[in-house]
Amino acid sequence: MGDAIVVTGMGIVTGIGVGVESTLDALLHCRSGVGAVRYLSTAHTDIPVCEVPMTEAEMRQRMDIPADVVTTRTPLLSLMAMREALQQSHLQPDSGRVALINGTTVGGMEKSEQLYLSFFDDKDVAYIAAHDCGAGTAFAADFFGRFSQTTTISTACSSASNAIILGANLIKSGRADKAVVGGTECLSKFHLNGFNTLMILDRERCRPFDDGRNGLNLGEGAAFLVIERESEAKARGAEILCTLEGYANSCDAFHQTATSPEGEGAYLAMTQALADSGLQPSDIDYINAHGTGTQNNDSSEGNAILRVFGNDYPPISSTKAFTGHCTSAAGSVEAVISILAMQHGFIPPSLGFETPMADVPVVPQKFLKTGVSLTHVMTNSFGFGGNDSSLIFGKYQPEKQTHTSSVYDEKRRVFIGGASQISVQQPLGEEWFENPIFYNEKYVRALSPDYKQFIDPKAARRMGAVLKRALTTALSALPTADGSAIDAIITGTGLGCIENTEKFLRAMVVDGEQLLTPTYFMQSTHNTISSQVALNLHCHGYNCTYSQRGVSFESALQDAFLQFKLGKIKTALVGGHDEMTPDYYDLLDKVDFWDGTFAGETALTMFLENRQTEAAWCELLDTQLFFRPSEEELQCTLDAMLQRHGLQRSDIAAVMTGKDENADNNRHYDDFCRMLPQAAVLRYKHLFGEGFTMPAMGIYAAAVCLKNGKIPSFLTNNSDKNIDKPRNILVVNHFKDLEYSLALLSNV
Amino acid sequence: MEELILELKKQIIEVLNLEDMKPEDIDENAPLFGEGLGLDSIDALELIVLMEKNYGIKLNSAAEGKDVFKSVRVMAEYIQAHRTK
Repeated sequence: MGDAIVVTGMGIVTGIGVGVESTLDALLHCRSGVGAVRYLSTAHTDIPVCEVPMTEAEMRQRMDIPADVVTTRTPLLSLMAMREALQQSHLQPDSGRVALINGTTVGGMEKSEQLYLSFFDDKDVAYIAAHDCGAGTAFAADFFGRFSQTTTISTACSSASNAIILGANLIKSGRADKAVVGGTECLSKFHLNGFNTLMILDRERCRPFDDGRNGLNLGEGAAFLVIERESEAKARGAEILCTLEGYANSCDAFHQTATSPEGEGAYLAMTQALADSGLQPSDIDYINAHGTGTQNNDSSEGNAILRVFGNDYPPISSTKAFTGHCTSAAGSVEAVISILAMQHGFIPPSLGFETPMADVPVVPQKFLKTGVSLTHVMTNSFGFGGNDSSLIFGKYQPEKQTHTSSVYDEKRRVFIGGASQISVQQPLGEEWFENPIFYNEKYVRALSPDYKQFIDPKAARRMGAVLKRALTTALSALPTADGSAIDAIITGTGLGCIENTEKFLRAMVVDGEQLLTPTYFMQSTHNTISSQVALNLHCHGYNCTYSQRGVSFESALQDAFLQFKLGKIKTALVGGHDEMTPDYYDLLDKVDFWDGTFAGETALTMFLENRQTEAAWCELLDTQLFFRPSEEELQCTLDAMLQRHGLQRSDIAAVMTGKDENADNNRHYDDFCRMLPQAAVLRYKHLFGEGFTMPAMGIYAAAVCLKNGKIPSFLTNNSDKNIDKPRNILVVNHFKDLEYSLALLSNV
Repeated sequence: MEELILELKKQIIEVLNLEDMKPEDIDENAPLFGEGLGLDSIDALELIVLMEKNYGIKLNSAAEGKDVFKSVRVMAEYIQAHRTK
């Protein structure tokens, strides 16, 4: 029997309270935080929201962050919640291997929308570097000390739940001892207007599961948990708040912004979470539903609940009329609320509920119920693209044996069965390998294949370039036409569909908040890419998206690797996708982002599987992420990695690096390569350019070398000789000396 | 009416980015959603904005749109009866 994953700390900030105590007080006094907009500057003053009652200046003061430090409201919210969780757990992040897994989608948008036009006059342009999702996570990691690895999950409204899932998997795998997991999201004019174009914002307080429900209210907030192994929590004397009993993520694969009437994704998430926990539906004492208050969600979720639990479903409520819909933070906000309900023996009411839904016979808890004993609680979070996650928490019972449905097993293997790319070298195919193109321009867009071969023009009409490329590479990476055989779709993207995001932003800033349209908005969530692939392949399996700047793709690869080693999947598509727009290129150029390289676009999808076929390119032996690693940490981890696979440093034929023409960037690669003096030093960015997910092309190029049994001289740093029959290639990447990644590939 | 139908077809092709279509490819009597053009809920929202932007007609919910967007002809008739610009 394995070690249980337990919760030893939690922190929360929402419109109903700053901190766990005030949140509990609001819940027990049925105090909603939904009301007229006070802090966000918007023309839509008739739309109620639920804001954290603090200005940015007050948050900075509380966390002792001077006004001139570049950061935004989303990370500031996360800092308050993380500090509370760390304090309750009595944990210092630099003690042992503590991972930080954050969920967000809005990132620094709230600042970008205020400063957008002034960016182009060089004013405040430093804030462009705080725009992407990963920037806030890295800021938070630096604020608290030294985490062993950090990444950001961006699956819209299920982001925080998926962050909790990844944290637990990292602990199960032994890659982390503890994890700080959750999500954060501030209100932005961008997503308020976006949801408004979808016509799903109620002009009154939302009424989840009520027949007259008329949409959701947006909220903001952050919540984080500290999770760790039961044995370690006990050994260090930490108070155990509850156990994480089980979890699952599934894809509805129905529509980008609507859920299927029967709630297939929600049904799969709930049943698989139950299976993961070894519990029966009758063991669940309370469901904290996603319950947004939209017509579509509540009837679909209600149907899914009936399918899982039957007519004897446990008490259900949605707490969204308390906190509003905290989007990327919703999963952890409601995890904290569910844990509080279990700790204090109450069921929070579905505020505003009056009349049962006519079409779906599910009736939520109308009034607060106290004095109840809850042993297991389930909380649901569903995101755009049908990204559905369920978590089950349990009362801590020291004597109880832990159910382990999935055990991490090093012996399970992962092969790169194929890959497909669209780049400046070639749109699809590997012929570039014999005849590469060298560019002198500073900014080159990827070459275009004939998309009509892959995508129905009716579907393509709404897709930006990055989506078309992602779908085309995914379809062409598949070994057979049967996409439903894919168990997981995982994507890394630094900026998502930035072109359409920018179009929506520009229209909103230049033309105002009226007459905006939904098409660009619905593509602005980073997980649109994974969702579109799932939709096209009818894939209901695991679906996740990472957005952590220079290690976005490697975060996706690590997740796939964990899923294989946990025995949860047999096949996966892992993508690295980013597009570049002229505006974004210029803004990043102003902050010297492109110093010493040219800007490129990434479109790569790898097909991974657990068995070795004749078509296999190579084996993925291992992956590793780091945050600000010391030299000693890099050495120890590398040696441990090699040892796991019976290898020595001298067995590495070559190190593929992200070297370019920038001395500051290259220095860190030179330092690393000194550990492996016998290995040839390779590079790839002179062929593909620089970009957040460009390491995907480094791993891809290494895989092509192993497949072809040859490393061509143009990939070597300073040699004119080809290297024949390489056995093992180690790929190393770093992003501004903050985030590092390793991927170890071996020939087959 | 026929003029308005043609104008509407052009606008629909533009806002819904129906790249390879010409006005004559759209049957003004065929359903816009489901069969026919095969549009979906997002397209309906785009058409709601089109109605407000070009004709000053404000629909308050996607449900209201359902009756109006039955076909290009029904849409044109509704516009003629309710337009404010």
